Amino acid sequence: MPSETPAPRKAGARREAALNHPLDGRGTPRMTLAESRALARAAYERLPLPSWRRSGFWATSLESLDLEALEAREHAPDSSRPAILAGAPAAGVLVQRDSSVVHVELDPELAERGVILCSLEEAAQDHAALFERYYLRRLPLDRHKLEAASAAFWSGGAFLYVPAELQIDDPFQIVYEISEGRTAQYAHTLAIGDRGSAMRLREYGLAGEAEGQSLHAGQFELYLEDNARCRLTQLRDWGSGEVHDVSTSVVEVARDAYCHWLPALLGGALIRHHDEIAIAGPGGDMAFRGVLFSEREEHFDVFAVDLHETGPSGGDVHWRGAASGSSRASFEGLIKINQGAQQSHTYLQFHSMLLSRDAELDAIPSVLVGADDVSASHGGTVGELDELLIFYMQSRGLTRPQAVRVIVEGFFEPLIVQLDDPHLEGLIRERIGSKLHAAAADIESYALAR
Amino acid sequence: MAELEIRNLHVRTEDREILRGVDLTVRSGELHALLGPNGSGKSTLANTIMGHPSYEVTDGQILLDGDELNELEPHERARRGLFLAFQYPVAVPGVSVANFLRMAINAQREEPIKVPEFRSALEHAVKLLDVDRKFTSRHLNDGFSGGEKKRAEILQMAMLRPQLAVLDETDSGLDVDALRTVAEGVARLHREQGIGALIITHYQRILDYIKPEFVHVMIDGRVVLDGGPEIVERIERDGYDPIREEVAARA
Repeated sequence: MPSETPAPRKAGARREAALNHPLDGRGTPRMTLAESRALARAAYERLPLPSWRRSGFWATSLESLDLEALEAREHAPDSSRPAILAGAPAAGVLVQRDSSVVHVELDPELAERGVILCSLEEAAQDHAALFERYYLRRLPLDRHKLEAASAAFWSGGAFLYVPAELQIDDPFQIVYEISEGRTAQYAHTLAIGDRGSAMRLREYGLAGEAEGQSLHAGQFELYLEDNARCRLTQLRDWGSGEVHDVSTSVVEVARDAYCHWLPALLGGALIRHHDEIAIAGPGGDMAFRGVLFSEREEHFDVFAVDLHETGPSGGDVHWRGAASGSSRASFEGLIKINQGAQQSHTYLQFHSMLLSRDAELDAIPSVLVGADDVSASHGGTVGELDELLIFYMQSRGLTRPQAVRVIVEGFFEPLIVQLDDPHLEGLIRERIGSKLHAAAADIESYALAR
Repeated sequence: MAELEIRNLHVRTEDREILRGVDLTVRSGELHALLGPNGSGKSTLANTIMGHPSYEVTDGQILLDGDELNELEPHERARRGLFLAFQYPVAVPGVSVANFLRMAINAQREEPIKVPEFRSALEHAVKLLDVDRKFTSRHLNDGFSGGEKKRAEILQMAMLRPQLAVLDETDSGLDVDALRTVAEGVARLHREQGIGALIITHYQRILDYIKPEFVHVMIDGRVVLDGGPEIVERIERDGYDPIREEVAARA
């Protein structure tokens, strides 16, 4: 009889890429900031640089990141608003340049009514009760080296608190800038919408063109208490330098609360995002939208989780992605409905549009359901530019590049228009336009090759 | 006054020669009907005139006012005053009818159209095609019924004011009311704007509303018969077989 022996474990198996796992409620037990920093620091020193395996084909690896070469950079306060906010309404603005918060402004009337907008460092001191109650409630600090680094070394940071029943129309604008190459930016945003409040929150990640690698290791947490509402947009445009953005964002939606969340990933050498929204109270509902557009050699890897801890609850996940050049973008979407979360209803869809022969774009949806009275499904499309549609528009006088732009903008438009924010919509449309302009030759040769 | 002249046009797709020497001339202000059985090459002619990339011209010329168009891109042909109303209009997701029209108009002129001018032209066109004003804020052809798509084609034609239009089976898939609206719209554009049109159909119904002065019959990739409205009556009565037989006898 043949003997069955288990295959020997490969040497160095610990360094193999990890699969994607949802946080699924995992956070960090309550402890002081000093304690959590120490714990994170120990994890940082213990863990290797991470990589994540994706669908057996390819992986996202940070192993080529030279952490030793990166520096924290301090900056003096700067009273001017960043250019990206020109013409944008704002209830408050907070800007972090590299390692320092350089600019904070808050509508005095809102401050009077109990709104807090300050650096997270300041919040840990001056608003200790709130800080301790929420900080890392739903974020772990030791799943991988860069998460640990962020929890250990973050400086500056953003803290936003909107008190109960206060409804604010103008958005809060939080900007993270990387000003030069070889920068390590450890960022942390903590935002709370208390009972019955309503707010809009924008978080930008921006960088210009700079030599050398940089790192943005970001943590974002938003807690929406009972009946609170938030429209959240996170825009990442790290420019054409070598910025590596490895971030985790988590949104908790309590009883009858609602969140409309739209990450827009519009540029970065390497983006690895784990974005998770947890419906934690009955009646909680959300719309989780996403836009991504990779170009050149960019590498985007998104793991999005739609978690239902309790029912009845609603969810609607709808992402759209395009890729040009020889970029790669991957979207893995997971619906997880926990045991007992009856009457949860959710849908996940990802639509993609490939603009070049050498680009890769793929989507892996999955569903884990632990309750029987629920609906959870997914769908999606993979598209290329439709030559018949281009001919149709050309027959009306549009040039080929104009027609392509109309198609790609139209592809993203159903999500962009939902932002209900002309300034932000304009920014995203403009960026999509400039990416198409840059990729025009590429798109043309792809069409001819087909 | 524009003149579209098709001279000895031969066209093939990947594996098959479809047009085998077409000759046809249409001037602005003239209404022509092109009839023929299914598969005779009518839609190929329409698409080739507009420059569809899947059709290869192997011989002959498409001339507009004496200039050869063969090598021009579709948008260049449009900018010279040609228009094609598609048999199967394509959905343009995310772009409203009004925005698309504005884009198309601006693509064909130097200065962008002024808002009041655009608005009044749109009001006029909307009335002409008997559509709801709300129609123009829907995404073009996206989820449109067959009749709405054809109305949208003629709406675009009204707004773009071409010199010469090819209507590729604009009458197919329409109920009687929609057919009347669309046909009367075309007839009015002919009267008011002096558009010349080549109306391709394999039914004769549309010709109850539009009275072409010139009628052509296409069979097997050639125009085999030219004449006036009497040809329509003849085909209605006898079908295409007698014409086919005549052509065979001539050959």
